[in-house]
This record gives sequence, C-alpha cells and structure tokens, in this order.
Amino acid sequence: MTVQKALRADLFRLEQVRQCYGGRTVLEVDSLTICRHAIIGLAGPNGGGKSTLLRVLAFIEDPATGIVIFEGRPCSTRHGDVRKKVTLLAQEPYLLDRSVHANVAYGLSVRGDTNVGEKVRGALDMVGLCPARFAKRACHELSGGEAQRVALAARLVLRPRVLLLDEPTASLDAESAQRIKAASMAARRDWGATLVIASHDMAWLKSVCDQILYMQGGRIHPDPPVAEFAKSAKLGNRWIQGFHTDFAVL
Amino acid sequence: MDYILEAVMQAFRLLSSGDAETFSAVWATICVSTMSVVLTLLVGVPLGFFLGYADFPGKRPVRTLVDTLLSIPTVLIGLLVYALLTRRGPLGGLGLLFTLPGIAIGQTILGLPIVVAMTATGVEALDKRLNPTLLTLGAGPRQILMTTLWETRFSLGLAAMAAYGRIVSEVGISMMVGGNIKWHTRTITTAIALETGKGEFALGIALGLILMLLAFAVNLATVGLRKRVKR
Repeated sequence: MTVQKALRADLFRLEQVRQCYGGRTVLEVDSLTICRHAIIGLAGPNGGGKSTLLRVLAFIEDPATGIVIFEGRPCSTRHGDVRKKVTLLAQEPYLLDRSVHANVAYGLSVRGDTNVGEKVRGALDMVGLCPARFAKRACHELSGGEAQRVALAARLVLRPRVLLLDEPTASLDAESAQRIKAASMAARRDWGATLVIASHDMAWLKSVCDQILYMQGGRIHPDPPVAEFAKSAKLGNRWIQGFHTDFAVL
Repeated sequence: MDYILEAVMQAFRLLSSGDAETFSAVWATICVSTMSVVLTLLVGVPLGFFLGYADFPGKRPVRTLVDTLLSIPTVLIGLLVYALLTRRGPLGGLGLLFTLPGIAIGQTILGLPIVVAMTATGVEALDKRLNPTLLTLGAGPRQILMTTLWETRFSLGLAAMAAYGRIVSEVGISMMVGGNIKWHTRTITTAIALETGKGEFALGIALGLILMLLAFAVNLATVGLRKRVKR
C-alpha cells in the first residue's frame, strides 16, 4: 500500500495524545491510526485507558495534549459536525426519560431527519426488539439487556460512520449479548461502519476484529502480557505488529 | 365555641351564594399569584439551570446566598419593594404601588430563591451520563439545553409548586405593597387578616377554606410529581 493510499484510507490518526484527570495521566498514545471500515478491538484490564480513548475518539472530551485527526483534519469537541458521524455506546448507557421510540428517534430528530418511524422500526428490528411490543414502552420498564439494545438501536439508526462500543456486552444475558454483537457487525456489513470495540470478551474480539490493541496504564502496550492471543491462528499477523506503526496492518 | 360554628356556617353560605367580596379577593389572589409564578419561572429557571450546570468562580458563595434567601421574611421584601415603588423611590414613576403587578414584583422576589435553588438541585442531580449521551447522539448546545430542561421537568414542576405554595400564602408583601384595597388589591390572606381584626370571622373562614383548597391542590400535585421524580 502506498503512503498516499494509506492516507486516504485513514479515518482516525492520533498523534502524541495525552489525557490527564486530576494531574494523573490516564492515556498516553504516541501514534495510532485507524483505517476506514476496520474493526478494532481494545483489550486490557480495567483502568487501562480504553474508555478514555473511546471518549477522545468520540469527541466527547478533548485530550490534554496532542491532536486527533479525523478524515484528514484535526478535530476536537468544538467540531459538532464530526459527532454526527461518530457515536459511542457506553458500558452503562443512559436512556432519556421517554419512550423507547423517542429514545431511538432522538438522534434523528436533532438532525432534522425524515421518515423517522420507519427508521426507528428498522433499528429496533436490528437489535432484536419487536417494534410493536417495545416502541411505546417507557424506558424504566426495560431490563438491563433491553435497555442496552435500545441504546444501541439509538446509535445504529443514525447509520454512523464510526461506532465506538465500550464493553457493550458486559453483565448482559447471553441473548442480549448475542443480539448486540450481531447488530454491531451488521453496521459494518450494511453500511461499512468502522468499529472500535473495548471488551474483555477476547473470544469475540478475536473472531471479529481486524486488529486488537492491548491497553494498560493508559498506553497501547507493544508487548502484551497475554502472549497466547498473539499466537492465535485466527489473528495471525494481523495481531498487533507494533503500536507505533503509522498504518494499521489490515 | 358557638360563634366559631356560626362563622363556619356563614362561611359556607358566603361561598355557596357566590359572595362578590369573597370572590373578588379570590380572583385577585389567583391573578397575582399566577403572574408571580410565571415571572418567577421565567427568571428563575435559567438562573437555576446556570447555577446547577455551570462551574464558575464563586459558585459556592452564590449557592449559599440563594439558600439563605429561601428564608427571607416577606415583610422585608414588602419593605424593599415598597421603597422602590413609592413615589420617591427609583421606580416610583411606574405607578405600580398599590397595584397587583406591584405585588407580583414582590412575590416574584419571594419565589425566585425557591425556583433557583430547586432548579439548580434538579440539574445537579441529573445523571452524569446525560451530557455525553446527548453529545454522542449529535445534539448541539441548544438541543442539549432543551433536552436537559426536559429531563428535569418534574423537578421544575416541584419548584413551581413550592414557589406557588409560598406565594399564595404570603401576607406581608400583599399588605405592604398592595395596600389591601377592597375590590382592587385585597387578596385572600390580606382579607383574612383584616376581617379577623374586625371580628368578622365568617368571611375570614370562607377565604381560609378556599386557601386550604388551593394549598391542598398544590400539595396533591406536588406529591404526584415527587413520585415521578423518585421513580
């Protein structure tokens, strides 16, 4: 791949990104590139910096130092337009105090979108929730798994270019977890979304990701202690080749 | 004891016959308290939202001041507003002394700390995940503001009810700024004070019953809202 082609393929590029909370550095990424249509896994222990990296990628918070380049231009939280292309599903998503339909339709309404009803029904179908049964339900009537699926539907309905998932299946029942995994993959399959998934579910990450990054102590670790993952036949040479490389090997 | 029972009976007769003097005071009370609550909400909700949402230097002292103002005596507000509206005062030219809008100004000052403090508390109590959620769904600043206000709607309702309860039952401001003018600025509370002073218990009790009904309605609404907030 030539450098020019690789640059065109870049979706995100992070340079010397640092994030600090209360004087403590929680994220240190010297260089990271995420290509379009890739599925990137983020593995590592709690407190390793995965969620912080996702919030920086989602333009919900700006790094203390460094730049985040999205689609070829430096972007920050001030660029509201990029947040219409990138969306984040948190581990414990918040649902607005309204019906399921209103929650899923919220992002469409702020965009002034049309044909909302059909799109909402389609998104609920994607996450395995029957629109006729769920659309009118109040959000406090949902189980944890259903709430997580509604939150994912609220993101999928926007057909985002980038879908960031922070522990999307943690503490969910098997069916909900499976539905969420399937719906996430449909985003890549149906409209070519780029996915960045933080998860402890290594089996899932290994089965779907083009690249897995191991994060510990806020850094993308060049020498992950979980050597068995690197030896995984499924990942082969797509496993972390070195985290200071400019272009992900996909 | 008999004279109290007689007064109660007469009070019901006044209410059932639609006594003009009684209902003039009721109407004045409803007009002025509604005006006051609307003004209080218009000014207090944005201030409370800012106080609860934003971080700025001196936020803590401002919050303490607002909390202190919650217990400001109505006669003190009455005195201040009277001094402002009297002919020699800075706002004397407006001719608002001894008018219902004049009372509304005082009552707005009375209700303002309640609405500001309760709105700020409601906004502070919002789930910390709300803002990032709205951001990641693509909401802009105006949409975030409106959605956040909507999410605090039950707290705002509680603030409005609390302010209404305080405003409708105050007597100091109405008496001093309104002057208790019959058919004009006489409210339920000032009428009760006057009639009791004259020994006319019947009208006082009749008006007291209506005030109790108003308070009961406000309390019912508040209880309903509290249930929604707790949920």
